[in-house]
Amino acid sequence: MIPDELFDLVSYRIHPEAHIKLDQEICKGCEHRACTFSCPARCYIWSEERSQVDFAYEACLECGTCLLVCDRDALDWHYPHGGYGVRFRLT
Amino acid sequence: MRLPEVGMATSRLTPSGQSGGSAEDRASALTGSPGPAAERASATTSFDAIVVGAGPAGTSAALGLAQAGAKVLLLERGEYPGAKNMFGGMMAYCPAPEQLVPDFWKRAPWERAVTRRVLSITSKGSTTSLMFQAASGSDRPAVGAGSTSDQSLTGFTLFRPHFDRWYAEQAVAEGVTLLSGCRVEGLVLRKGAVRGVQVAGIGDIVEAPLVIVCDGTLSLLAKEAGLHKGFKAEQVALGVRALYALTEEEIDERFGLVGREGATQEFLGCTEGVRGGGFVYTQTDALSVGLVFHLDSLKQRGIPPYELLERFVASGPVAPMLRGARMVEYSAHLLPEAGMRMVPRLSMAGLLVAGDAAGFCYTNGLTQEGMNLAMTSGLIAAKTGAEALAAGDFSAGRLGRYKEELKETFVLRDLATYGRAIDFLHHDRLFTLYPQVISALMEDLYRSDGTPKQRIMRLARRATKGRVPARRMLADLLEAGRGYL
Repeated sequence: MIPDELFDLVSYRIHPEAHIKLDQEICKGCEHRACTFSCPARCYIWSEERSQVDFAYEACLECGTCLLVCDRDALDWHYPHGGYGVRFRLT
Repeated sequence: MRLPEVGMATSRLTPSGQSGGSAEDRASALTGSPGPAAERASATTSFDAIVVGAGPAGTSAALGLAQAGAKVLLLERGEYPGAKNMFGGMMAYCPAPEQLVPDFWKRAPWERAVTRRVLSITSKGSTTSLMFQAASGSDRPAVGAGSTSDQSLTGFTLFRPHFDRWYAEQAVAEGVTLLSGCRVEGLVLRKGAVRGVQVAGIGDIVEAPLVIVCDGTLSLLAKEAGLHKGFKAEQVALGVRALYALTEEEIDERFGLVGREGATQEFLGCTEGVRGGGFVYTQTDALSVGLVFHLDSLKQRGIPPYELLERFVASGPVAPMLRGARMVEYSAHLLPEAGMRMVPRLSMAGLLVAGDAAGFCYTNGLTQEGMNLAMTSGLIAAKTGAEALAAGDFSAGRLGRYKEELKETFVLRDLATYGRAIDFLHHDRLFTLYPQVISALMEDLYRSDGTPKQRIMRLARRATKGRVPARRMLADLLEAGRGYL
């Protein structure tokens, strides 16, 4: 089991608009970047090149981990629009 | 292993709606876009109550209210009830749903009735387990639920997308108007009372004198109402889980099960220093394998949860159970974990809170309970709500009876009973140090190497030496005693 294989098994109906938005200015000052290792769907990846957090909302499992590990209030956090986002089938 | 195609599965749900509903209405509710159906629902029907979230708490509340004669609107943000719902895999038995649906446990789509429970303490060198096995099938006295052969002492394994959807269908059959694909983005507050909800997307407002919010662990609506200030990382746990397909026979064989009997196994010491534990639950033809972590501890340790899961499934005690199994789904969710400390104010004028949103979920280390608390709190919310409707009184005082009633049930009583145990489980030592001590002791106890044996106290001293000071351990033992005895 490699994480990519794990993530490939999740079913989504993706909305064209992101349901979580990051304030990159606030993220720049963050020292722990807990979102990059706590998110169970690996939606947050630190980019050395751009020196910013790259965020992919499409793989979000809507658990709320990022909202609670962020202590700088950098997230404009919503659930996806009704009927969109992750759809668990058996789990 | 039947993994349903999502598009197909949704067609099983139709909004009930006394209006009859045009084909267009039905189509939009099915595909999950809250278009004309939601608008029509708010424009032409007045509801006595709105329930937010069609999980076990919300559906129980909606069912109870409908059976008391109320017109109920049940709003679910998922494409279908259960689409957003995830748990470890076993629901502890409770009688609440039997009061709402006749023969509930005979008809509900559960997978296995749990008769075997194992608690394992693992370290690098060994695993020490405590196994509980109830007498098999008809030999067992009638406890719990189900038909004679399906009785369970403790609970049932099940799949939430199946179970929650089926349960919501029972509510629809009782006249509840269910709209899936409807995200509630806010409450309508007027003169200090909740008077309705705002549905996202269409910007529409649906009014009702009573709103019951069952919107899950983050509890965003109760927060908006000012009933709590938002849950913190140290109050919740993150669960991650992979589902593995096997055949029914393989599972029966590997776990020593007969018929619809099921087994659960929990693991301590497998989380690399993060406060948490692992689990393996038997479904009919699949194994739910996962880890649960205190979120503050995960953040502090800085190890990605899927990496810990990857190592857990490959570990000595777990890998043999999964031999030849095919991974079919991955999921994650937060769960309340702070007991009474995080329970918000449970009501205000026009509003009740139930299920995870009320913090009704806990583990005391031995049992993990949530869905039973959710269903029971939903049932009590319906009872309080129906009385309020009959009296035409939705004041804070009247709805405050909800909490008083809950205090008489196991929901608030268990949270109080295990209050200290829940706190106790927030010590890091329990998850690394003590599993190492127990493993070292058991390894010494069973070791046969041609040298003279020693008494257990001496072995215990050796196992703890350099790991934990005697005074510290004594204090922990006392705390554990106060928590559990």
